[in-house]
Amino acid sequence: MLKIEKLTRRFGQNLAVNNANLQIPDGQMVGIIGRSGAGKSTLLRLLNRLIDPSEGQILFGDTDIAALKGRDLRAWRSDCAMIFQQFNLVGRLDVVTNVLTGRLYDVPAWRSMAQVFTPRERAFAIQALDRLGMAHTALQRAETLSGGQQQRVAIARALAQEPKILLADEPIASLDPMNAKIVMDALRDINKQDGITVICNLHTLDTARNYCDRIIGMQDGRIVFDGTPDLLTTRMAREIYGAEADEAFNEAATSTAIPATPAPVRVPA
Amino acid sequence: MTYANAADGVPGDAPRDAVSTYERHRAELRASKRLWNIVALLAFLVCLGLSVWISQFYPERLANGLPRIFEYFATILPDLQWNLLFEGRAEDGRAVPGSLTFWYTDFWTYVALIWETILMAITATLMGAGVAFVLSFPAAANLAPNSWVYWLSRRFLEICRGIPEILLALVFVFMIGIGPLAGVLAIAIHTAGALGKLFAEVNENASSRPIEGITAVGGTWAEKMAYGVVPQVAPNFFSYAMLRFEINVRASSIIGFVGAGGIGQELNRVISFYSDDRVMAVLILVVLTVTIIDLISERIRLGYIGRENFA
Repeated sequence: MLKIEKLTRRFGQNLAVNNANLQIPDGQMVGIIGRSGAGKSTLLRLLNRLIDPSEGQILFGDTDIAALKGRDLRAWRSDCAMIFQQFNLVGRLDVVTNVLTGRLYDVPAWRSMAQVFTPRERAFAIQALDRLGMAHTALQRAETLSGGQQQRVAIARALAQEPKILLADEPIASLDPMNAKIVMDALRDINKQDGITVICNLHTLDTARNYCDRIIGMQDGRIVFDGTPDLLTTRMAREIYGAEADEAFNEAATSTAIPATPAPVRVPA
Repeated sequence: MTYANAADGVPGDAPRDAVSTYERHRAELRASKRLWNIVALLAFLVCLGLSVWISQFYPERLANGLPRIFEYFATILPDLQWNLLFEGRAEDGRAVPGSLTFWYTDFWTYVALIWETILMAITATLMGAGVAFVLSFPAAANLAPNSWVYWLSRRFLEICRGIPEILLALVFVFMIGIGPLAGVLAIAIHTAGALGKLFAEVNENASSRPIEGITAVGGTWAEKMAYGVVPQVAPNFFSYAMLRFEINVRASSIIGFVGAGGIGQELNRVISFYSDDRVMAVLILVVLTVTIIDLISERIRLGYIGRENFA
């Protein structure tokens, strides 16, 4: 159970996340929607402490995540994997080493500095890659892959961490519809098969409706909607997205819905 | 609205007013820039005048000095004679004046010293680059774990490159005695400072995304550097280190003047004791060595970078 209480983050005068309260039970797939600048990304980065909160608490079980430091903080980050919009792989390292970095927390310092990994670690990394259909690229440099392939490698890196929670910050915003669908299917599969909580920032509404058990809407740093997809009315969605509504509802532009398999739920634009 | 109808920035109706406002702003901007240009030009001329005056860089002095350059060259030119050019040593081991053997009597001494010079440059470059590598991460503004580590490593690198090599060599010769070790240490320290700054600047241009990726998997600061930064910057580091090696070959052929090893020691000896054709003999070898090293190193550097870019 991940619990957020009165979580606030200020950047100067600007409240990026404003008094957020949430409870996310284990194994849920949560989509966070909202227009650009609504605070979705900040909220996710607060959860694995890439950003420190200004006020409030983040509780995982009995641990106060907001107060972690040093080795404990790194332990939390390794439990709470993150996937980025721009993949954040090391382009000039080969794919398998990128995936192996997911194990860095458990590797002793001298081995990690010498880049020495055990056969078991390598096998685990290759299995993670194979699950995403990327094992054949293991010895290639990460930068030679396409965007969709890089995102799958990034997911394999996250799997190598054996995380309890998987955070995904706009994982499909830089991908074409076909790759976006592959990536979202992989995230849902990880959620269902491994029971890992997945919290995912999404820009398009139909992707959130199709894949998530629960949708959280953010507007100007506040959580303005929290419920199952069918509770999210068109009127509510329009309010959350504001001026970006047309773009967010236009699934042809940036969504996982590809022509062959139309999305089951569509909101008229 | 067509281009043919456009007026030359004369005030008029609404769209023309936009033109005249722009023209006015442009004129103001140009006027203020002109003032600055004149000020800068005057400042430059004053500096130039001062430096000419202080360094006594006058054309007639230069003209008076020129013939003396050739005079000196005449004294160090070998007196070679065609018919004796390839004459070997006589029975008693003496070389015949006018032969190459006579000119390069100490050839193998020179070769040994040039070899020592190259080895000094290699050792100093490796040592200096090692220190520069380690310090370039705390000395990069975007990577330093905290501000005092950043401040300390920056200042340390500044001190290392601020002291001229020849001065460091003098101190080390005094401390540990005459010989190549003093030269190696002096060049290594200067190299650490100079390369450290360059490496740190390469680090500052590294993309933050891979670093963020390693942070997010729970990596330590050292792991962020090793996995997130080093793969990005390694080709640039290598290229700068090779460039520094070329510079260090030149530096280590000079540093012997203060007794810190290498061919410079011999060059100093022949200049101060003989000032004859032996000076030219050493100079030719030094120039040849430096040129060959430069060519090889440039080949390696370009080959490596080329391979990197098209991999």
